[in-house]
Amino acid sequence: MRDLWEKIRKRFRRDKLAMIAVVIITGYILAGLLALVGILSPDYKVSIGDAYSPPSWAHPFGLDVLGRSVWSRLVQGTRVALIVGFSSTFIAIPLGTTLGLISGYFRGAVDAFVVWLYSTLDAIPTILLLLALALVLPTGKGLATVCIALGVTSWVSTCRLIRGEVIRQKELDYVRAARSLGATDLRILFVHLLPNVVHLILVQASLVFVYSIKSEVILSYLGVGVQNFPSWGIMIDDARLELVGRGVWWQFTAATAALFLLVLAFNLFNDALKDVLDAKQR
Amino acid sequence: MSSFLIRRLLQAIPTLLGITLLLFILFNLVGGNPVYHMLGKNASPAEIVRMTHQLGLDKPLWHQYLDYVGSLARWDFGRSWETKQRVTEMITDGLWPSMSLAIPAFIASTLVALIIALTAALYRDRWIDRLLVVISVCGMSLSMLALIIAAQYLFAFRAGWFPISGWEAGFTGVPFLILPILIWIAASLGSSVRFYRAVFIEEMHREYVVTARAKGLAWPRVLVHHVLPNAMIPILTLVVMELPMLFTGSLLLENFFGIPGLGNMSVNAINASDFPVIKAMTFIGAVLYITANVVGDALYAWFDPRVRVS
Amino acid sequence: MGPLIFTPPVRLASIHSPTANARPSLLRWKNLLFPLPFPLKRGKGLGVRGVLLALVATLFFACTPHQHQKNVYRGALGANLKTFDPAQASDSYSNQCQFQVYECLFEYKYLTRPYDVEPCLASAMPEISDSGKVYTIHLRSDVEFQDDACFPNGKGRRVTADDFVYSIKRMTDVRTQTFGWWIFDGKVKGLDAFRKESENLPPFPDSIHPALYDREVEGLRTLNDSTVQMTLTKPYPYFKYILAMPYAAIIPHEAVEHYGEEFLNHAVGTGPFVLKEWRRGLRLVFERNPKYHHGFYPTQGEPGDSAAGLLADAGKPVPFIDRAEIYIYQETQPMWLNFLRGNLDRGGIPKDNYSQAITSEHVLRPELAQKGIQLNRLQQLDISYICFNTDNPLLGGNKKLRQAMQLGYDVETVIDRFYNGRGIRAQSLVPPGLFGYDSTFRNPYAHYDVEAARKLLADAGYLNGAGLPELSYLTLANTDARQRGEHFAQNMAALGIHIKVESCTWPEYLERLRRKKFELVGASWQADYPDPENFLQLLYGPNAPPGENNASYHNPEYDALYQRMSVMPDSPERMVIIQRMKTILSEDCPWILMSHRTTELLTYDRVRNVKPHPVLEAPLKYYRVD
Repeated sequence: MRDLWEKIRKRFRRDKLAMIAVVIITGYILAGLLALVGILSPDYKVSIGDAYSPPSWAHPFGLDVLGRSVWSRLVQGTRVALIVGFSSTFIAIPLGTTLGLISGYFRGAVDAFVVWLYSTLDAIPTILLLLALALVLPTGKGLATVCIALGVTSWVSTCRLIRGEVIRQKELDYVRAARSLGATDLRILFVHLLPNVVHLILVQASLVFVYSIKSEVILSYLGVGVQNFPSWGIMIDDARLELVGRGVWWQFTAATAALFLLVLAFNLFNDALKDVLDAKQR
Repeated sequence: MSSFLIRRLLQAIPTLLGITLLLFILFNLVGGNPVYHMLGKNASPAEIVRMTHQLGLDKPLWHQYLDYVGSLARWDFGRSWETKQRVTEMITDGLWPSMSLAIPAFIASTLVALIIALTAALYRDRWIDRLLVVISVCGMSLSMLALIIAAQYLFAFRAGWFPISGWEAGFTGVPFLILPILIWIAASLGSSVRFYRAVFIEEMHREYVVTARAKGLAWPRVLVHHVLPNAMIPILTLVVMELPMLFTGSLLLENFFGIPGLGNMSVNAINASDFPVIKAMTFIGAVLYITANVVGDALYAWFDPRVRVS
Repeated sequence: MGPLIFTPPVRLASIHSPTANARPSLLRWKNLLFPLPFPLKRGKGLGVRGVLLALVATLFFACTPHQHQKNVYRGALGANLKTFDPAQASDSYSNQCQFQVYECLFEYKYLTRPYDVEPCLASAMPEISDSGKVYTIHLRSDVEFQDDACFPNGKGRRVTADDFVYSIKRMTDVRTQTFGWWIFDGKVKGLDAFRKESENLPPFPDSIHPALYDREVEGLRTLNDSTVQMTLTKPYPYFKYILAMPYAAIIPHEAVEHYGEEFLNHAVGTGPFVLKEWRRGLRLVFERNPKYHHGFYPTQGEPGDSAAGLLADAGKPVPFIDRAEIYIYQETQPMWLNFLRGNLDRGGIPKDNYSQAITSEHVLRPELAQKGIQLNRLQQLDISYICFNTDNPLLGGNKKLRQAMQLGYDVETVIDRFYNGRGIRAQSLVPPGLFGYDSTFRNPYAHYDVEAARKLLADAGYLNGAGLPELSYLTLANTDARQRGEHFAQNMAALGIHIKVESCTWPEYLERLRRKKFELVGASWQADYPDPENFLQLLYGPNAPPGENNASYHNPEYDALYQRMSVMPDSPERMVIIQRMKTILSEDCPWILMSHRTTELLTYDRVRNVKPHPVLEAPLKYYRVD
């Protein structure tokens, strides 16, 4: 386990692209945190100039339909994206990992049930399932519903991967040894097996993260996203009309670029991570 | 082979039942009483009771569930709450417009991705490969929604190369489909190029390829006679697994380009909380997915007999 | 009933615009027979090339612009058409299409103003008893239904008084599940009892024509083959308009019995056109009804109509066009482009393309005028507003708070930015064009004045909003409505009032209004009939939810005045009462009044006899295409 962290650190120190990705992600997180505590761009609701002012020295990102700063909205949107990304990851990953570990280890009826559960969920077109959940969840529309819906639909691939890996590893010597030394099932699962699948979890977590923030944009466009708060999806939805009708490109460009950069950073990060882990497996 | 197929089909039954159960729980239990939706604002209590009875909503839940499964087995999805039309007919109407976009787009995007992946694999670690990999990572990072808006604005609205949106049956409809198809290709390229490239590279380093090359066979020959046929197994599997995505993959495209297909119908149904239509679309999507899965497995087994036994 | 929430003014625009690409299906086949302009030889390589060339050739010929067919009108519909059952005609798209096929006893006069009705299937205006409650209506005896498979031998039969009675009874039957029952609710003697009894009938289609239908209803009787007598509970002056609504269209019982549940996909009427083709999501085709001969172009108009050439066809039999093709567009962009290319005869201007069509001086751009496009403006009979839930103790109990919010809302900017200036600031809920509108009427709180608003807010007990909880503003989940909500929230924030914008789908919206689960809500109302009663009833106490009085507003004086004016014909006395009601509302402020909107309609000058009308949105029978 410590060994793994060491390898990741070494690899990232060598790989410039991966380092850049880490810097970008840290920057986004910082911006999101500062926005959360109200230091960065608290003026996102206020009109600070004429409607549709193009980018200028005073407002480098321009102003929107109500004269609000596109930059401030962008920063607040970062906050939403990070909340969606992290909370759905924190729902999906523990859920997928636990179910994967249990079903792969115990097999039998538990396994059959888990496999049935995820093949059912997997068969349903995700976007329709998401929308259905957003329509019927008792939390009503908004951020919480988006996070829950994304969380409970995106654990499937994690679960499947972990299950497969546990089935393979539980016949390995270290597990057999632990068992013959009298370790309980729980101990074998969480003390012995879990650290050996943690690399899969890491990769999966960053995949779920990227998937969630991309989905938020589409859900917002379809009208079931975040309410009463700027998000990148809402900004793109606004911009859709003003772009064609009035040639207002700045809000669209800003939101698209912010989303693109964050997702790109995660993709690069993910690639570097995979390289380390592939090397580890060999 | 046929026993393998039968086994796979039998395995699909519990999944199908699971889907019906999930849909039933989502829409019939959590989703609330449809009677209010159907009768509108001025319904009297007596009318509500009558309608509830007529729809069988006063029966025990297990009975309602059995009714639901029974109606699905007859391929009866009821009537839309919004348009009062038969859902089956609405789906038939939307099928052709959807397919006229999805099938050409799917074939074209697969072919383009294969060609690019093969190029990248052939020039592995040279500048052209690096460039293609960078482009595909960038492509993966771009939001489909942003891509559609930007392309529609730049190429259709500003440049005027394509109609902005619309659909027509027959050959006159072709110009309307070109831009959505191009966007589809651009959006799907990123991840599939990376996958195909990995497959090709792995295949090219197999011993038989190395041997064939050592014997002095030219690359084109080796590629066509050895690499491609072998790489087809994982590729076909992926392609088949992606087929159900045709169903919902075009949701945004159809909406933006005004194509009266199933994706558009789903968006309308969502905006109107038209549960019967959403339920039907979800169910059919799931059935397609399961079918594609079985076909994918069967293809795999056909190419690789070892799978059949295990 | 037309709550039409804040639909942007594109509505009319999107509504009936025309589209093109009308392509006889024969043409496509002809291409295949067309001699190919290159030799096709046998041979491996050439074969493939030949097929390709053939394909290209087919494409080429299919794309060749062909001449406009004579006497064909091409229109467009801004959304999918739901149904052809008049009982389900709850949206304006259905209304437009159904009016081509189905007819009522009365119909709106096309050219004269103020808006009024004239006989259609009736032979004359109703004979009304002195009490104002008994309507005796004679039907034309020379009208037949169109030919259809539902009739014996496929031949349409003569329309009788029984058909009218049947149509109303079917619509009243609870099993029909119409949204239009309110038009007769409580107004016709015995009809409510009939509706109650219909609840006990076995469900459709088991009993599609029950014995109950043959029993006479007191207020809805036939005197003979061609005479109907209706008895009202009160002398409603606007009842003639009710009889011109699509819900009251005359349908043949044979069609309902023959088509059963699929009646909604068939149209069997008496109107100027018959439905020839309906491809859902794509297009509708209407053709001239050969059996229609009772319609004539109006001979009277407003001053100026004659000079505008609108009376050139006076007295001639209608329709003038042989065929109308209506294309369905769910997006405004393709509709707009097809209109610009001349493929559609009529179009509205999408909000986003406004500056492409109209200059900043509010006239048509010269390049469009050169193409032969003409601009017509129509003052809509509507009002858009923000409604307070006065059941809420905070909002209902503090008149000054409501007044302050109205004063602090910059409605002029809304009209300018979101409607492109197409609308006027409302001073009362009665729109121009209706009896009861008074252009000099001033509401002391219906203008933008931040200082006055702040002062009133302080008087209300909330200095700079201190002590006020966050209020929620409910609106629809579309970009435009959400942005307007954010603008409202911004205006209120300037006063210190915090507003949370909540977006929801249309069904959810209706549900929440009905259950009073909101604090403020953005709404609009479009007239069902041209009588001020249709607007004033929106704040009548007993109409509280689940009725149309979404504000749950209740004022005894207002309610008493409403009861008087609702059964009174137009007169100076009625005007005085209406003015008093408006003054009460100004002071009580249950709504934040916003605007009466204007819509703009573009047509090519090859289409003659175009005059916009808020009810007759697609009067195709009067159009002539040169």
